[in-house]
Amino acid sequence: MPRLSQPLLVIQDQHFLQHDTGPDHPEGSWRLTAIAQRLRTGLLADRVAIFPSRSARRQELTAIHDENYLLRFEEAALTGRSYLDHPDNQICYDSYQAALLAAGAGPAAIDLLEARQGCAAFAAVRPPGHHAERAMALGFCFFNNAAVAARYWQNRYQRRRLMIIDWDAHHGNGIQAAFEEDPEVFYLSIHEHPTWSFPGTGWGEERGSGSGRGTTLNLPLPPGSDDAAVLRLVSEKVEPALAQFQPQALIIGAGFDGHRDDDMSGLAYSSQLYGRLGRLAASWAGRYCPGRLLTLLEGGYRPDILPLTVENYLAGLLAEQPPTTDSQTDSNQQREMP
Amino acid sequence: MKISQHMTRPAVTVPPELTISEARELLRSHHFRHLPVVDGEGTLLGIVTDRDLRSAYPSTILEEAEGKARLQDLARTPVSSIMSQGIFTLSAAATLDDALLLLDREQIGALPVVDEGGKVVGIFSIRDLMRAYRNLFGLGERGSAMLSLLDDGRPRPLSRLCAALEQADIHFNRLLKTQTEDGHKIIYLRVNTYNLAAVHKVAAAAGFEPHREE
Ligand SMILES: [Zn+2]
Repeated sequence: MPRLSQPLLVIQDQHFLQHDTGPDHPEGSWRLTAIAQRLRTGLLADRVAIFPSRSARRQELTAIHDENYLLRFEEAALTGRSYLDHPDNQICYDSYQAALLAAGAGPAAIDLLEARQGCAAFAAVRPPGHHAERAMALGFCFFNNAAVAARYWQNRYQRRRLMIIDWDAHHGNGIQAAFEEDPEVFYLSIHEHPTWSFPGTGWGEERGSGSGRGTTLNLPLPPGSDDAAVLRLVSEKVEPALAQFQPQALIIGAGFDGHRDDDMSGLAYSSQLYGRLGRLAASWAGRYCPGRLLTLLEGGYRPDILPLTVENYLAGLLAEQPPTTDSQTDSNQQREMP
Repeated sequence: MKISQHMTRPAVTVPPELTISEARELLRSHHFRHLPVVDGEGTLLGIVTDRDLRSAYPSTILEEAEGKARLQDLARTPVSSIMSQGIFTLSAAATLDDALLLLDREQIGALPVVDEGGKVVGIFSIRDLMRAYRNLFGLGERGSAMLSLLDDGRPRPLSRLCAALEQADIHFNRLLKTQTEDGHKIIYLRVNTYNLAAVHKVAAAAGFEPHREE
């Protein structure tokens, strides 16, 4: 009988709910309430270990964002402004604090992973992050949670070669901008084609610049693309990129808005695809960076779909976990023997 | 829409006496493909392209001695001997449309832009054309997305659509109505919002369904 596997670490925090975007806004606090409910009562209830977040520290944020932007955001929230930079980005008095906690969730999870407290980590955060630019809020995003996490992993634990795989339906312009010239952070995004989709970036010909040329990979899909299109990209593009780059840690930007019933994109993924993506992520981490797999929540806006697809994804992550890390190492060694 | 806003200026021009080897070096170091040839007053005499220059060079299949002699020739031959004359030009008052039609019809890569006296004031290449239309359409503007909607065929479609969008406080910055070859009337709309679902809802309520291409 296999020994019990390590739990899946989940970062949840009541304070994420205090970022109030107002009525009728798609990025509402119900998103996390629904996920938490599903994890508490669903089939993964005894496989996850829940931890709170912590606020991102100033230097963790300024590795990615302008100091003046932090001040501007904080002041806008505290003085009762209703949005930052664009009416899409609704804020309230508590939004700055909630965003600090969302940006700190990656670092909190990384500390736990590096202390070998779990097999992988999922940070159920909001506000999301991948559209946030160095000095601009965009597309419901304020701080770039994934970019902050990547820099933290590098600086605190010397994991230099990081890969961020972002399969939110939208292109993560903010992550790409942060690492465009950085050869050590590989940004790979599968998203709806920019001709048809917000934010109008992420063209296939963008491959990074300067010394970061080749460590950006955009894989746009036409509207209506389904599971088969994604899985084809995985085997033809994603897996070769992983094999070549050999990441020392893996961050997944997990947005669930590519689902066919989520009308924030024209993509047509099934619920099952997310289970496949979970198994794939776990197998990549097992191969290149065992135990160093962090998933951050990005989009996903259908109340009835989001908790289900998140659960499918996490179940996929757990399905690929070996009984113990030791036996995984053993079997790898055996396979490599002549 | 005036060409003077989109052309490259000043254009790098050369005198007719410049040798072929000097001209080739100039194109190579500047990464462009067209050199207007002008007299002492700046009046256009002709144009030399990288293709003209390449075909002036000896083929590698020539005997070594013969090839060397040809290269020495080129170092003495003026560009005026290979430039094209009677070429197409644009006036500074021409528009992007003039340029597009002319470049397309003549299948050429660039057009010198000249003033009333025939003096070269700039050059307009296909690259300049692409950049101009890219900006015109807002291609790559961060934070925007293009939607295509089917015209419902009822009167005043654009006014109705604009009113509905403005009513709902949806920001947009491009609006274009076209007809496809198979007769569909399509409205292209570039909006500045993440919330495309909300835009589609407002558009549908005003009578405009999304246009899906096959
Ligand atoms: Zn998204």
